[in-house]
Amino acid sequence: MTGVGLWASGYPDTAAWTRGTPDSSVGTPAAELIPAALRRRASTLTRIVAEATQAARAESGVDLGRCAMVLGSAFGEISAMVEMIGSFREDEGMPSPTRFHNSVHNTPVAFASIATGNQGFVTAIAAGDETAAMALCEAVGVSAERGGEVLLVLADETLPPPLGTQRPYASGAVALILSNDSARSSRARLGPPRRGAAPPIPLPAAFAAHPCAGGFALVAALESGRWGPVPLGSREEGWVVDLEPVTSP
Amino acid sequence: MARALDAGASGLLPCRLPLPFETMAGHFPDVLEPVPAAFAARDSRIVRMAFAVLDGIAAAVERAIRRYGKDRVAIVLGTSTGGIFDTEAALEAHASAGALPERWSLEKTHAFHAMLDAVQLRTGARGPAYVLSTACSSSGKVLGSARRILAAGLADAVLTGGIDTLCQMTLRGFKSLEILSSRACRPFSAGRDGLSLGEGGAFLLLEREGEGPARLLGVGETSDAHHMSHPHPEGRGAKAAMIEALRQAGLPAEAVDHVNAHGTGTPANDLVEARAIAEVIGPQVAVASTKGYTGHLLGAAGATEAVLAILAMEQGRIPASLGAAPLDPGITIDVCLMPRQRACRVVLSNSFAFGGSNVSVLLGRAS
Repeated sequence: MTGVGLWASGYPDTAAWTRGTPDSSVGTPAAELIPAALRRRASTLTRIVAEATQAARAESGVDLGRCAMVLGSAFGEISAMVEMIGSFREDEGMPSPTRFHNSVHNTPVAFASIATGNQGFVTAIAAGDETAAMALCEAVGVSAERGGEVLLVLADETLPPPLGTQRPYASGAVALILSNDSARSSRARLGPPRRGAAPPIPLPAAFAAHPCAGGFALVAALESGRWGPVPLGSREEGWVVDLEPVTSP
Repeated sequence: MARALDAGASGLLPCRLPLPFETMAGHFPDVLEPVPAAFAARDSRIVRMAFAVLDGIAAAVERAIRRYGKDRVAIVLGTSTGGIFDTEAALEAHASAGALPERWSLEKTHAFHAMLDAVQLRTGARGPAYVLSTACSSSGKVLGSARRILAAGLADAVLTGGIDTLCQMTLRGFKSLEILSSRACRPFSAGRDGLSLGEGGAFLLLEREGEGPARLLGVGETSDAHHMSHPHPEGRGAKAAMIEALRQAGLPAEAVDHVNAHGTGTPANDLVEARAIAEVIGPQVAVASTKGYTGHLLGAAGATEAVLAILAMEQGRIPASLGAAPLDPGITIDVCLMPRQRACRVVLSNSFAFGGSNVSVLLGRAS
């Protein structure tokens, strides 16, 4: 792992999130990774993916135009979908074409690909509460197949009305830059995801219920130096990943 | 399906969904049986459709679970819109009655993992399991994921494929983009004026070795990095995907006997794709789009068209590219206006998507 980025609703930065000190003045992220013309049409999900990605890039120095991109998101662009279905009851019942093509699950990484000129591997997956684990499986496979660095982003936005009552959680995104070149693993090392047991990692309630809670658990473990197995999902005997410190050769 | 391809019979009919415009669509051909009682909480149109398609491969999945163990059989499914058919009805009910229907659930009806969990429970496979959703390239890219899962040793068999239903969102969305035809789509034709949508899907079981009818030789996955819904004007990402698939297979372009094209029937896609095929594979290769039979299955198109490409290899018969005559004079590749008897050893299937997502799947005859 060569870089980590996090955007958590209500927190100004990773340190504040780790300390548990929210700031009510924090609003929608700037998402400066995305050119202004595209950004105007970007959803919350796309913006928080861009923001976490930017932070991970700042730490790792990775060229985002040349690394594989894997998005894990359980519900994807769900606000865009609900808004669009609502628009069928208005006027002539036709949606905005931009809203339509921005409603696909891969929109956040497509924007990142367009913004960075990345013509390589880009994908988007979902697996409910196992999204973090399964996106990591995909990233491990991509890294083994193609080498180089992989951007893994785990993100979901707050569910819009009337769906939000079914599962309240806060918008948040975690971005990791992964490399199978051990010499570049400057931050920590991750084993392959495996089934097993791991002690729970306490998270703020709004993120414990997040579909990508495993990603937030990974950042919390990393920031507190809690090495060992980290739970990536909510199921008992679910998926875990071993987090190891970088040791000098 | 094989009989329809032989007969040149389109499955496109006037769309049965209530819409403020006319269009043709490919509807799932059978009455969808309710799911078994044990799955009642997960009943939805997409799960019914997934179970109906799964019946055709259930015995092979059972054999794989017996041979490798349930934890060693993975599932990777492609879909563009998942359970949205039922969600549209639920949101309509909410708008008119102020409450979501009791039988509708975010987790068990709408979410991508609703279908995934249902297929996991139905098959008993307990290896890695996820949905891949990159719009119209989804279920071509699942074959790349399956290949990687096997290569990384995360599983010994992968149930893969894609399912999508017709829904208001995609029908109205493509109409809004002004690329939905009111007639049956006519890929590569001089008279093409847009795409037709369809619903359905296909499943494939991948193992490292075995008795299957085809070998997965390569999966090229690239991005245009150009625009959310317009293809790159020179087909940059499409060409790169085909080149990558050939490179993975270690095969020259001349080895490809047939291309099942993305071929949606939109003026821009077909022209760009034809130029890309001519440049990478060569103008001599026999090309057909099967969307005139099925409509565009969106997230299910890649897997379905991979199966139709395998069928062409198995039967030594390339289907006619339905609706292509008279051919657009600007398209200089060899589009099959009639079915062709031809022994095919290597076939390529293209799928391109919103976000500039491209996939080319290269398949070889097992023998």
